[in-house]
Amino acid sequence: MMSNKLKVSPPVVTDGSAAQLRGGRRGLRLPWYGFSFSMPILIWQLVFFVFPLAFLVAISFWVVRNFRMVPAFEWLNWNYMLSRGFFWDAYAHTLAMAAGAAVLISVVALPCAYTIAFKFRESVKQLIVLLLITPFFTSYLVRTYSWQVFLSDNGILNAALGQFGLEPLAMLNTAFATYVGYFTLCLPLVVLLQLFSLMYIDRSLIEAAHNLGCGRMRTVFLVVVPSARIGIVVAALFCFILTFGDFVSPLYLGGGQPPTLSTLITDTTKSGQQWPRAAVIATMMIVTLLITAFAAVRFAYRRRA
Amino acid sequence: MNEHRLINLVLRSYVVLVFVFIFTPIAGSVVFSFNIDRFPSLPLGGFSLHWYETIAADPAVWQAFKNSLMVGVVVSLVSTVLGFTAAYTDFRYQFFGKSIYMALALLPPTIPVVIMGLAMLAFLSRVGLSGEIYAVMISHVVMCAPFAMAVIRMRLAQMDPNIEAAAWNLGANQWKAMRFVILPFTAPSIFAALFVTMAVSFDEFAVAWFVSGLNETVPVRILNTLQGQVSPTINAIGTIVFITTMTLVILAQLLLMRRHKPATA
Amino acid sequence: MKKSIDLSRRTFIKTSSILAGTAALSSFLPMRSFAAAEKELVILAWAGHAEPDIVADFERQYGVKVRAKYYTGGDNMLGLISQSPPGTFDLILSDAEYVQQLNAAEYIERLDPADYPFDDFYPEFQHFPGHWKGDELYSVLIRFGFLGIAYNTLLVPETKVRSYSAFWDESLKGKVGHFDWHLPNLGQISLANGNTRPYDIDASHWQSVKQKMMTLRPQIGGFFDYGGTFSSLKNGQIHAMCGIGDWITGVLQRSGAPLKTVVPEEGGLQWTESYCIAKNAHSPELAKKFIQYITSPEGQVKSAKMAAYPALIPNKRGWELLNKTDPAEAKRQGMVLGQHNVMDDIRAGRIKYRELPVQQSLEDWNDFWSEYKGA
Repeated sequence: MMSNKLKVSPPVVTDGSAAQLRGGRRGLRLPWYGFSFSMPILIWQLVFFVFPLAFLVAISFWVVRNFRMVPAFEWLNWNYMLSRGFFWDAYAHTLAMAAGAAVLISVVALPCAYTIAFKFRESVKQLIVLLLITPFFTSYLVRTYSWQVFLSDNGILNAALGQFGLEPLAMLNTAFATYVGYFTLCLPLVVLLQLFSLMYIDRSLIEAAHNLGCGRMRTVFLVVVPSARIGIVVAALFCFILTFGDFVSPLYLGGGQPPTLSTLITDTTKSGQQWPRAAVIATMMIVTLLITAFAAVRFAYRRRA
Repeated sequence: MNEHRLINLVLRSYVVLVFVFIFTPIAGSVVFSFNIDRFPSLPLGGFSLHWYETIAADPAVWQAFKNSLMVGVVVSLVSTVLGFTAAYTDFRYQFFGKSIYMALALLPPTIPVVIMGLAMLAFLSRVGLSGEIYAVMISHVVMCAPFAMAVIRMRLAQMDPNIEAAAWNLGANQWKAMRFVILPFTAPSIFAALFVTMAVSFDEFAVAWFVSGLNETVPVRILNTLQGQVSPTINAIGTIVFITTMTLVILAQLLLMRRHKPATA
Repeated sequence: MKKSIDLSRRTFIKTSSILAGTAALSSFLPMRSFAAAEKELVILAWAGHAEPDIVADFERQYGVKVRAKYYTGGDNMLGLISQSPPGTFDLILSDAEYVQQLNAAEYIERLDPADYPFDDFYPEFQHFPGHWKGDELYSVLIRFGFLGIAYNTLLVPETKVRSYSAFWDESLKGKVGHFDWHLPNLGQISLANGNTRPYDIDASHWQSVKQKMMTLRPQIGGFFDYGGTFSSLKNGQIHAMCGIGDWITGVLQRSGAPLKTVVPEEGGLQWTESYCIAKNAHSPELAKKFIQYITSPEGQVKSAKMAAYPALIPNKRGWELLNKTDPAEAKRQGMVLGQHNVMDDIRAGRIKYRELPVQQSLEDWNDFWSEYKGA
């Protein structure tokens, strides 16, 4: 949604002539007005966002002596972490889980967003949007805990299955439960983002496709999905970002096995305050996310051939 | 036609199914919060207000609510101001490096909370701010300002840039134009941003857990319960938080809906 | 309609500015002003140590307030200390094996042995390893407990859990859980391998402990933190648990769940909790008073019965009082005087202290644990 706006904005913003006009009006005076609007967020995010992250990266070069961190510039922690098999296992696992979640959740969400966008009246649509916002502002932790009660061996779902004479299923502490958590975390957001981009599709395109004898499914895949590409890709990206860094679902629903990178961060500190090594993992995560985000945004805004 | 109806029916049932999934854990936690059992299962145990009484009698929970409220109010005000200035800058100015500027303004929600928490703790503890309630405020403003900016920027996108120019032509200076044109026009989104950011702050547990020290907020309290003596008080607290944030969101929605009426500018 | 919204908007601005004002004002007050010295005691501890069942009497007696930050493990504890401004905490509850680390990092003060009732302690606990540096005292042991096989008494027959080999039982496939910390789990497997000093093993024994551990991996249903351990045992998800003891199952037992911990024939481990006074504490005097309070017979009984998790206590006079006031709990925990009790188990050499690995580095053990989890 956000990166979406980022690119969409330029045409909305003033055309060149208006901007020049303003420049002329300000003349020789210093642009205090402009500064007072452009500077606050810049300063704030530099000091309290960029700087802490940069500091975290710096810490990855520090060393630990007597269970205390000492500033240094050593590649020790990097060599150490990146030569561990378990690090790469966790990395691959986290990447696969997050990528899987992005694809799966997008696929599940799309028919839902499509139906909401095209098959409901305006007033119903508004109500649905409101409902979709709701879970976003309820406690994710509480929802996770609630799922535990549903999914455990003696839980509500298995009790319900038992009513039909079915064998209990092992759900909690499996990858399945982790995915239930991921869906809980991301599904509403993904549906919302997809919905926003579907709502702005020019309906005449769809009608034109129909008039040209294009079948329903073909229309969806050849007209609707490509026109909403930006929203779909950005939604999947958000899903990837959120699940890649989430520690709650893998831990409280997945039983902590196998470890994800977020779990590994905590585990690393368990050999005597190895925060610098945790910082190495964190840096690797940030880099991965930035690359993914960059690639996804590039893909989303690529001109169609 | 019949086939068409059938497909519509299938699609609509699908939407219902998705909503059942989304609301199952929420409804579950509300129901469990009134359930006497520590680990509810079917058939459900008796109705009880026990968990609510437990939290009502726990001063730590009250303190947590107080902290959350304090953090929420300050965070929503500061991040909305920051978000507004950023949205307006994006709306009005073109300058070299703007995409980097915008990236800075929008990037924080994409950083995993564990990493944000680690980084904020490492940084804030060096400058002597960790463990203080304003450590939570600072971190939350970083995370919430982008939301405020997004909400306000969406509203600005509906405004014809020439309106502002027209105000200058009529002799208003920039500040006056801001005061009498931009602010009134964006007012609904500003209020929406206030509520949304407060709601985000009210549910943020990971970063707050790292930097809050002794000053637990409500979500941190929940996380601590989940990590410690798991108890259904989580559901009771969750239900209260749910009602609080829902109230905020509905208020925000009501304010935003005003934009569908003719612009008041 | 419009008017009413305007009105509410105005009220909102008013209320929020008042709120913000108060918030800003109160947040400018330092969180721990020096005026609060000796009026307020801040404890860093495992969850439950500063709840009313433990501290209410102390607060009343001295007219002070006890606040707490709870940690989720020893490393988490060290992290919290290192990332908080000095003087944030007065008292630090530490697992015994971390006392040396606290000392090495210079986080704790030296104590005067004369301040504490060591004469009332069982001799085993008067000079506890790691708490003393020569004659210098740094930490006071307040409670301890055993780690063995925790199991669900309805689902696992008692005959099965007499040996650690129970964890490998076919019927427990996917039903064995780990408390997610390398030390207790690897210690137990080391015991299962017949190492009399489970933490002091040479390279070849370490190798075979690792191999043995890996064979357990297919049995494992999950790795849990404190809270996760609790709920997975209670909701029947996990039938047997490695790396914990009565400190978990005792609580569940109290609430009626069919859970129990036994020390198998290969022996069990001992966890130990001790109080240290933090360097630069704001209320060092009060901290001392609190240690005296909790090591007194009355305090020891409270500690034995602590709501969050029960424990054994080192003070003989505490035992006497417990036997008098709550014989049932004394019996449940095996602290009955004059008959076979936990001290006999210790003296028979069935219990080994949980410690840091002696011949390997901590990170060797931790790395193996990460590897094991990912396998």
